[in-house]
Amino acid sequence: MKITGVQATWVPDATANRSLARGICVVEVATDAALTGFAIGSSDVRVQLSAITDSLLVDEDPRGVTGLWERMFRASRQDGDDALCDRAMALLDVALWDLKAKANGEPLWKALGGTRPRINVNASAARVGASDDELERWCGSMVQTFGIRSASLVVGVDSESNLRRLELMRKTLASLTPEPGLMIDAQGSWEPKEAIRRVREMEERFDLTWVGTPTRGTDFLGLKRVSNAIRAAVCAGGSLGAPPAFLPHFHHHALDIVQVGVANAGITGALQLADTAFGFELPVALSASPGHVNAHLGAVMPNCMSLEVLDIEPRAAGFKSDVRIESGWAIAGDRPGHGLVIERSLS
Amino acid sequence: MKITGYRVETYLMKMDRAVGDANLPEGVDLMPGSILYLETDENITGISLGFVGGAIKMLFPAVEGADPREVVGLWTRMNDWVHKTGNEGEANYALGAIDMALWDLKAKIADEPLWRTLGAREGRVKAYASGLDYCLSDEELFAFYRRMAELGIDGGKLKVGLDLPADLRRLGIMRDALSIASDRPQLMIDSNEYWSPKQAVRYIRQIEEKFDLTWVEEPARRWDYDGLKLVSQQVAAAVATAENINSIADVYPLISNQAVDVLNVSGLHSGVTGCRQIARMAQTYELPVSMMNCQANFMAQIAAALPNHNMMEVVDPGREHCLKFSSRIEDGYIILDDSPGFGVEIDEAKLAELKAHPPTGKGRFPFPRREGAGRYTVPPAPGAVPWRRGR
Repeated sequence: MKITGVQATWVPDATANRSLARGICVVEVATDAALTGFAIGSSDVRVQLSAITDSLLVDEDPRGVTGLWERMFRASRQDGDDALCDRAMALLDVALWDLKAKANGEPLWKALGGTRPRINVNASAARVGASDDELERWCGSMVQTFGIRSASLVVGVDSESNLRRLELMRKTLASLTPEPGLMIDAQGSWEPKEAIRRVREMEERFDLTWVGTPTRGTDFLGLKRVSNAIRAAVCAGGSLGAPPAFLPHFHHHALDIVQVGVANAGITGALQLADTAFGFELPVALSASPGHVNAHLGAVMPNCMSLEVLDIEPRAAGFKSDVRIESGWAIAGDRPGHGLVIERSLS
Repeated sequence: MKITGYRVETYLMKMDRAVGDANLPEGVDLMPGSILYLETDENITGISLGFVGGAIKMLFPAVEGADPREVVGLWTRMNDWVHKTGNEGEANYALGAIDMALWDLKAKIADEPLWRTLGAREGRVKAYASGLDYCLSDEELFAFYRRMAELGIDGGKLKVGLDLPADLRRLGIMRDALSIASDRPQLMIDSNEYWSPKQAVRYIRQIEEKFDLTWVEEPARRWDYDGLKLVSQQVAAAVATAENINSIADVYPLISNQAVDVLNVSGLHSGVTGCRQIARMAQTYELPVSMMNCQANFMAQIAAALPNHNMMEVVDPGREHCLKFSSRIEDGYIILDDSPGFGVEIDEAKLAELKAHPPTGKGRFPFPRREGAGRYTVPPAPGAVPWRRGR
């Protein structure tokens, strides 16, 4: 089987709220075997995609995905770190794994060698600036629809409102479980000492499972300092990109939970990080991904802890996922590949 | 597809030549072998080579009835199965053997070589020659490395540790033999944990006055991360180790303490899955891994798919009498074809013959540690090895 070309489509999406790009990039890798692999991302990396494809992928067998990953990775490092290039590579890697699984007629989790994933789900209220009512409604619907037992709050600068909203979330979750899991996500917004004060204040009233990215994600010294001073685990990594950025975090034990997903240089990169975390006896929290594709990866991670889910409606509306969520668990289906299918026209 | 049963064949093989190291310089030419056959309900059988051990009875129920394509998930199930006593000793042998046979099955089900299942771009792995050669005469030593150099192999690893003048002379012989493949052959040495860290530093520094060494293997004990780190800080060569540990759990202190520069990996590191875990952890630390020698070089299938693999050990002492395989060495690389799985089949008639008439020769099971190790040096007695004549 040979790769014949890659088609990249940019679909503007005004409702996309987590990136500056405000749209969806759809990548389709075509082969001479009537199979197509695809992936969805949120950055417009069409230029990088075509450069990588033309020089490194055309005429290659997509089943050699690990070797191709290494090839793309080496080439991209020649000009130093390039975040857009890494994102393009991550999308291509996902599309190649999709192809590899489809070539075997297997769902991705099985192609990777996993047993059917059943992954603990945590809801993550990513929408910054939502009102208390909106938060309560979101949390309530996540409880009702998905049966979630734990949720993460994006915290802001106002301590009072953080505490109030945590209580609101706890109460909503308590309708299903007496001891809900509570996490917060600071999205890298605090100084280390500020983080310690804020988290300690919360910990007087709440038992927090983890604190997501309390300082800037690259600040392994700050993350370590926070971890040493609070009860909750420090969880970060989703924003760090490719595996090399994690070396200082591992070496200095700056993370208690390693957040990974396809955004970390694709499936190949995420698996490398998860096994490294396993070696360090650290659990892995899978980050949110279009159509919950990351759920497949959990099938081969002995240290997988949870999968992040943002909303009832998948962010990438127009795409249908084969991962279903019930009673607080994400379970992947049997559709070959990663199970995402396009439901609407891209134009 | 389901796993329905298993069969283990153990046998004794006589190699075409003896192999020896600092612990047993006079060498052995007998080696125990075992083959695990993992049977399925669809007439495809997975095999693995190496050591299986008695714990297979205890561990097999963990995979019985399961789909072999789910091998990585089954690895976790097996690892959890042996939680209390640990993934050690006999349980570790069985876990690795089952995991390898499962990967063989997974690739065979997809009708592809294992290197492709694992995502390698090509079935091609750089090789280096390793004589396990303390029992060889100078002439035999030269002949071995010259034969390897004629296959394009431009690196060699010599067994050392008991006699510095002899080791220096033999390093020169190895370099000369390899010089037809490269102007600057890669030279490695291996003392198999015979030294204390400071003995290692003294010995290696003296060698480094005359030779540029790529790596020194097991210069201190396998678990001694402080000692290995000390050696690494005091010699120019990389420190290679990890051969005799069981899993990524044992690699943790070596890597986090910066005690290792090259990780020796094999199927004995908890199978293909365990071996790949270690390689991935090493990759995050920007460390290379090197696959260890094995029958028919079957683990080259995995090495081909590890982005941070540097070169694989090739010994070729003749351990394949009851095996049929298609890999070959060409221009210094192990070349794997498209045969499914590991690309190894069993010659059942030959195996039956070996079992009916076990060969005789020199053997030591288990392989011992030499007197004086880590304290003082006990050189081979006069006449015990061909290169040390009576005085």
